[in-house]
Amino acid sequence: MTNFISRSRSHRLSFRRLSSYSARFYSLPTSIVLATPLIAALAIGFLYPVLKLFALSFSGGTLAYYRRIVAEPLHLAVLTGTVQVALVVTVASLLLGFPVAYLMARLSKGPATVVGACVFIPLWTSVLIRSYAWVTLLQRNGIINELLIDTGVTDGPLKLIYTQGAVILAMTHVLMPFMILPIYSALRALPADYVRAARNLGAGPLRAFVAVTLPLSLPGVFAGSVMCFVLALGFYITPALVGGPGSMLMATLIGQQTTVLLDWPFAAALSTVLLAVTLLFVLLFRRTLSLSKGLNSVY
Amino acid sequence: MPTLLPRLGKVLIPVVVGLPSLIPLTQPTLAAEQVIIASTGGAYDRALKEAWFDPFTKATGIEVVTVAATNAEMRAKASAMVKTGNITWDLYLDGEIQAASKAHREITEDLTAFCRQFADRRDLSANACAAGGALLQSTATLLAYRTGEPGGPVPETWADMWDTEKFPGERAFPNFDDPWRVMAAALLADGVSRDELFPLDIDRALAKLEQIRPSVSLWWKTGDQSVQGFRNGDYSLGQIWLTRAKAMRNEGLPIAWSYKASFLVGDRIALLKDAPHRENALKLIAFWLNTPAAQAKACEALSCTPPSSDAIAMMSDEARKTMPQGDDVRDYVIVPDAEWINANAAMMLQRWNEWIR
Repeated sequence: MTNFISRSRSHRLSFRRLSSYSARFYSLPTSIVLATPLIAALAIGFLYPVLKLFALSFSGGTLAYYRRIVAEPLHLAVLTGTVQVALVVTVASLLLGFPVAYLMARLSKGPATVVGACVFIPLWTSVLIRSYAWVTLLQRNGIINELLIDTGVTDGPLKLIYTQGAVILAMTHVLMPFMILPIYSALRALPADYVRAARNLGAGPLRAFVAVTLPLSLPGVFAGSVMCFVLALGFYITPALVGGPGSMLMATLIGQQTTVLLDWPFAAALSTVLLAVTLLFVLLFRRTLSLSKGLNSVY
Repeated sequence: MPTLLPRLGKVLIPVVVGLPSLIPLTQPTLAAEQVIIASTGGAYDRALKEAWFDPFTKATGIEVVTVAATNAEMRAKASAMVKTGNITWDLYLDGEIQAASKAHREITEDLTAFCRQFADRRDLSANACAAGGALLQSTATLLAYRTGEPGGPVPETWADMWDTEKFPGERAFPNFDDPWRVMAAALLADGVSRDELFPLDIDRALAKLEQIRPSVSLWWKTGDQSVQGFRNGDYSLGQIWLTRAKAMRNEGLPIAWSYKASFLVGDRIALLKDAPHRENALKLIAFWLNTPAAQAKACEALSCTPPSSDAIAMMSDEARKTMPQGDDVRDYVIVPDAEWINANAAMMLQRWNEWIR
């Protein structure tokens, strides 16, 4: 025990700000004991159902369901459309979310709490309500159209709701907190001394940001982007409410097969394809980001 | 290090010992007699509870427990229950057409034997009790419109819905994964007669739909959406549910509808295979069919047509006036060919998805 404490203290002194406690400070048996509940929960609640789903997609011992996915161009078109929407939403969340996270990390406690509340309260509100709020805003006689007509920007109401744009807008709004929070925590863990040191050595504010803050925030950016992207791939309610017939996503197709046609093996095959695509993109993200320096401290 | 494990034990042992105390929570409480029914919740549930479940409990002492889910969720869940052999519901409500499908037969009990007791009931409609379930109520999907100037032309048929010169304005059609009624409307608009409607000519229907597509401002997914667009003037003609159209008129909106452009659809009460409270469930179904007063009360609230003509007689004049009547049903209202729709559901959805995108 003394050994454990002294070891961790010495580590803590040097790594205090950059890394929190991690498993490597515990011995192997303790680590196993600590990780068992999580592993058990994952195995029962996640791994087992996913494997069942996977097996279901091959029911009858054939690849027939996968052949059907490839044979009908609709499925691949919807899949690429889904990936496109997810990518656009992730980029939009990043561009809009990073400044917010940066602001939250730099503000003093009081104002930071206010900004934090603005991020958190939408997160606690039901997706359904947030999507309906967009319907109210964007509809033909909605607030935005009325404002545009009153100010003379347009003559008649614009078609804002039930479009692909509305889907992207509403999804970005729903997913933004998942982008802001990881970036915020990465920026918070960053000692202000680093930027000060950079400025001291002659870097301007922009240079200090680009050379120090941005690379060190990349772990947060990575975590946020992956989370946004993965969640966006499986979105169901928001596209159904604010999207038009043209904005059909994979989840809609899977839902149709599961609940309307009750063709579960085919739904399982579609889900497996979506899962495979998701994993592929997560790996791609990792690979791209690990080429930059900032990620060395995470992996 | 060696001291850490015992410490952990201090925390873990009580947790592990405490776990079995949670087990009773996961087991069903052994209440008095009960029956579990899944329905779509909300106003629908409330009306059924007041008119049907509460009087039933009063008469028999059997408690009715309701579970809320959407129609599609119910179907998927019921199917999962039967497939895994873990059945917790007794009854659930499903659409008339789905109740005639093969998938439905696989998970529900055939009620043919049970239905014999209602065979000589004059007041019940012929299909009130069938193998796939007992009829809860019927309603229609039809052409509803915003009324214009008095004396002006009034849209009556699906051909009028397609006539954008005579009836300008935007349109709304449903897009909830069940495309037969949109295709059928297109075919009727294109001049196909009622007798020759089924089997649907999908190519012809989609070609006709292509003509109206630019004027369609909403392809609605939920009943609420279909109403919202009428409220804020998004469109002036729409293929929507009769119950929703009536709800709008009750709100005071200038809405009317035409039975000359309508499809009859209903809800059935289905009994799950190996239902845990099978006897009670059958009693609940029998209570519905045997109690016109309950049907009248529920349909008065929900604006539906009950299966018993005695129940129709008990309803208010106002409710009766807005109900598809015998003559309308005979002359215009289209009763869909459930068998054909079920056999071709996957093909239709596939064609629809390709077209609508």
